[in-house]
This record gives sequence, structure tokens and C-alpha cells, in this order.
Amino acid sequence: MIAQKLTLKALQVNAGAALPALAVALGYYLAARVGFAFTLQPDPISTLWPPNALLMAALLLSAPRSWWVLLAAALPAHLLAELQSGVPLAMVLGWFASNCSEALIGAGLVRAFVRAPVRLDSLRNAGLLLLCGGLAAPLASSFLDAGLVKLIGFGEGEYWTLVRTRFSANVLAAITIVPLVLAWASWRPAAVRATPPAHRVEVAALFVGLLAVSLLAFDLPLFGASLAPALWYAPLPFLLWAAVRLGVIGTASALAVLVVATIWGAVQGVGPFTGDSPQDTARDLQLFLIAASVPLLLLAVALEERSRAEREAHEQRLQLTHLSRVAMLGEMSGGLAHELNQPLTAILSNAQAAEHLIANKTIDNNELREILRDIIAANQRASEVIRRLRALFKRGETYLERLDANELVRETLSLAQGDLATRSIAPVLKLAPGTLAIQGDRIQLEQVMLNLILNGAEAMAAHTAVERTITVRSAGNDSWVYVSFADRGPGFAPELVEKLFEPFYTTKPQGLGLGLSISRSIVRAHGGRLWGASHASHGASFHIALPAVRSH
Amino acid sequence: MPFIAVVDDEESVRKALRRLLRAAGLEAESYASGQEFLEQAAQREPDCVVLDLHMPVMSGRQLLPQIRKLATRPPVVVITAHDTPDNKEECLAAGACAYLRKPLEDRVLLNAISAALRANASGAKR
Repeated sequence: MIAQKLTLKALQVNAGAALPALAVALGYYLAARVGFAFTLQPDPISTLWPPNALLMAALLLSAPRSWWVLLAAALPAHLLAELQSGVPLAMVLGWFASNCSEALIGAGLVRAFVRAPVRLDSLRNAGLLLLCGGLAAPLASSFLDAGLVKLIGFGEGEYWTLVRTRFSANVLAAITIVPLVLAWASWRPAAVRATPPAHRVEVAALFVGLLAVSLLAFDLPLFGASLAPALWYAPLPFLLWAAVRLGVIGTASALAVLVVATIWGAVQGVGPFTGDSPQDTARDLQLFLIAASVPLLLLAVALEERSRAEREAHEQRLQLTHLSRVAMLGEMSGGLAHELNQPLTAILSNAQAAEHLIANKTIDNNELREILRDIIAANQRASEVIRRLRALFKRGETYLERLDANELVRETLSLAQGDLATRSIAPVLKLAPGTLAIQGDRIQLEQVMLNLILNGAEAMAAHTAVERTITVRSAGNDSWVYVSFADRGPGFAPELVEKLFEPFYTTKPQGLGLGLSISRSIVRAHGGRLWGASHASHGASFHIALPAVRSH
Repeated sequence: MPFIAVVDDEESVRKALRRLLRAAGLEAESYASGQEFLEQAAQREPDCVVLDLHMPVMSGRQLLPQIRKLATRPPVVVITAHDTPDNKEECLAAGACAYLRKPLEDRVLLNAISAALRANASGAKR
């Protein structure tokens, strides 16, 4: 009764493990069938024994408290698979114990070093997985396995020969199957929908090519044994392709294709792996596959780790850029209010003028039309300010398009106008005639220009300048487009010229000191340069050079 | 008919205010900058000046004392799209008779102008 209650409770606790348990049972059974199919004859030598590795992967994917459920689920699958081949029950149970021991030792060791969820997302994790799960666990359980075989007296063979063959079959299975299962467990179907068609074509081409080459090299009796060593390397380009382009999941899958193709050929007695005895064939085959899998898998993990780090750094840069842009917009909120109040004033006063004219009965249609036209124009101007402001507030990916540097200057100035007006600063435009074509992200480049204009305005705030102007010049030749911003403030000491671009260096009481450093990194990301110059007695200037796009 | 001068660098605002003042039955002229106003004012001094505070080159704040130095000492109604409390105090101290925020309600502006004209007229009688 108590036992029943306990079981019930345990079942309730592990209700969530029911589906994984079913999957483990099914997977284990199929894996055992594969293991049998991959046995070399006449004396049965196993080349790849996947059930243990599958069990290990399942344990790694679940919490230790439900491990026993998974192990229990594997038992019927084990019995079903093994009893079919006429092995005595004692041996069948002995093997179950040694299979479970490998899975438990591997999963336990990995979990001792790697925090859950176990993912192949760093070289450290991959190395630990290969060492603990791929080496230590098969090694430890091989002794148990061979020992049990000798103890029960099933089959022939020396103890150490047994240890060796079990060990290498288990190692090969562990290093190919565990990463494969772990990689596919974190795969989401949504990732496929987000994949561009070109990438899908690439994946298909890679696997079709790999399969064709592997079949040709290992499974078709087309080439004699003399060509053997050269054929071993035929799939390598495809495997490297997978490691470089498809990440861990692609590499583990490509390696699985190689493993199956190679072993299948050897089992059929064709391909380069046809040694003098099944033992020799199995050893050559396993060493070849292990030697191919480990470095490629580590390469894939290392590359994926690096590209993730780059992605994260890129993401952080975008965040910082956005943050500094928002901070800048916050600083100029007064100016922006001014910029919106002007068109609102024009709208209100025009409308009220019309009301007076109607009340006086002195309005004619032409005047009314003119008033309405002015109201519409002012409204459009206010909408434009809001549209541009929203664009700057938005946080988005870099979007490169063909731009006119002159137009960018004008747009930026229209945003800064309010700020300049409240400081009684007049912008002076000396733009090159025509358009200056560049390639860039509109928002980011406007951010740079806005930053330089506001810096110039701020420089003149404390300074009672003779002439309160910011002069914006543009020029271009075949290779470069130049835009410069010159203020009439006090300038800066020549030795500060580079310090100004350092992060967190600021001369403003409320400044973060990020504006110029972010501006420079934006310009550099566009393949250009940003530099400053101080001119004794007539202010500072900042210069942007961006690669010109040849107009056709 | 009182003659009102509007000084504002923003064309759409300048035009709208001139239109409003004329529709309200006043004589009005507008100027895009302090310099332009000072040049024109030599020919005909206004009875009242509606002055924008934030203009490039010569701000309203800089122009204000110069207007008060004109022969007729016309009263000044300061208007601004960007107001800060200290601006108001400063302008009133410098001789402005009103300080109004944009956008301007016609009543508020017209009342300020007529109050300025009255105050100036009574000041002149004295």
C-alpha cells in the first residue's frame, strides 16, 4: 500500500518525464537495432554501439531526479532488442547494467562540470563532453562490460580484446551521437522559417554532395583497395564546409552521414575498410571516424562560439549607439519643443486670422486659399519633425542605402534648428553643388552629424562668440565625400585632439563622453574617418570623410 | 491705426502673425531679423514691437534694449517658442511689457498689444 502510494507520487512528480521516457524507449530499441546491423561478421564485432550514447544524451537533457525514469524506460527496450538475438538473460541484464553505467558515468561527470542546460556552445563544454562522455565513461564501462562477459561466460575472446572492442565502439557512438542529439534538442522549427532560401540551398547541396561522395568512396565497389587511403579524405571538404558554415548541428549531422556511410560499406564488405579480420577492420574504421569527428566537432564549436561572441559584441554596439542617440535627443528636448511650437504657432495664428476675416466679412477666396495652404505646409513641417524624431528614437539593425550627403546635412539641420535657434546660433551652409552619393545607414549618419552640430552649439554656449555660427561644408571627389562642421567657440587645446574621441572623456558638465567616440565608431564602420581640428581664435572643426559611391 | 512690427526669423510664423494682426484691424509689418528691423525702423518707428526671443545672429534679447532706445521707445511684447523661467524675468527687467509663449492665442496676443499701447500712451502723456 505504502509502496503503491510512493510509486503513484513518483509517477505524478515525473508525469512530465512520460514523453521523454517513451522517446528514450523507442530510441534505445532502434539504436540497438542499428548497433546489431553495424556488426561485422563472421565473429560478431560491433563497430558502433549507439544505445548507451543515446541514453547518455537523454540523461544530459533531463534533470537528475528523473534519470531513473529514463533508465527504467530503456529496460524493456533493451530486453526486447537483446532477447531477439538469443543471448542468455543473465548476459542481457549484465549488458543493461554496463550500458546504464556508461550513460550514468558520462552524464554525471559532465553535469558535475557543466551547468544545466548542457549545450555545445563553448569549447570548454565540448571538450568536457568529449573527455567525460566520449572517453572516461566508455572506458570505465568497458571494464565492467568485458568483466561481465567473462563472468557469465558468454562468447569467446580475451578479456583485454573484449575491453578494447567494446571501448572503441562505445567511444565512437558517444562522440558522434551525444553531440548530434544535444544539437538537435536545441533546434527550433522557427529557425528554418528565418533561414534565407540561399542558405537552405547551401545546406541541401552540402548534404547531397557529402552523401554522394561518401557513397562513392565507402559504399560502392567502384574503386579497388589500392585507392583506399586517398578515398578516406574525399568527404573532408564537405565536413569542413559544414563546420565553417553550418555550426555544431550541421557538423554533427554531416559526421553522422559519414559514420553511417563508412560503417555500412565495411559491413557490406566494400570500400576501403576491408581488413584481414573483422577486428582489424573495426579498429581501422573506428580510429578513422574518431580522428575525423573530434577535430571537426571542436572546430565547429570554436567557430560557433566566436561568431556568437561577435554577434553579441555587435548587438552591444547597436545598443550603445541607440542609447547615446536617445540621450542626445533628451538633451535637445527643449530645442525639439521649439521646433514643434513654430509650426503650431503658424497653424493657430493663420486659422485665427481667417476667423477674424470671416467675422469682418472681408475675406476673399484667394486669401482663404493662401491661408489654408500655409496651414497645411506648417502641419507637414510638424509631421516631418515627428517622423524624423521617431526614426531616431527607434532601435534598429544597421540598414545600408544609397544616400546624398548634402541631403543628410539638410535633414539633420532641420532637426537641430530648434536647438540652434534657442541658442541664437545660425547655421551656415556651404554645400557642394549637386549630390554627394555615399552608402550608409541614414539614422546612424544623422546621429553623427547631429552630435557634431550639438557639440559645436554647446561649445559656443559659454563663449560669447563674435559670430554665433556653425558652418557646414561639403565636398567630394571620385573616392571621398567630405562633410565638416566648424563652430566659432573657444576651440580646444591641440593635445586634446585625440582625447576627445576617447569614451567617457567629456568637457560638458552633463555629458556622458560617449558622443564623439560612438560617432567615430559609426563613421569607421562606414569605412570612413572622423577627426577634429582646433583653429586658434576661431573655433573647432570636425571632419567626416566617407567613401564616395560613383554615380552612374 | 496703430502700427505693429513683428520681428521673427521664422517665415511661416512671421507671415501668420502679420496676417492675424491685419485681420484684427491693426497695421502690421514683419521683419526677418534684428538688423532688418533696425534699418527699416529708422524710416517709420512702430507703435509696438512683437519680438521673437530666439533668432540667429542677433537674438531678441540683444535687440530688446536697442528697441527701447528708439526715439518713440515703442513697447515690446516678447514671444518665444522655448521658454525658461529666467528668460521671462530677464526680458521684463530689460523693459519688455509682456512675455508670451508660442503658440499664441489671438486674444492673449491682442490683449497684450492693446495693453502695451495703452500703457505707452498714458506714459507719453505724462
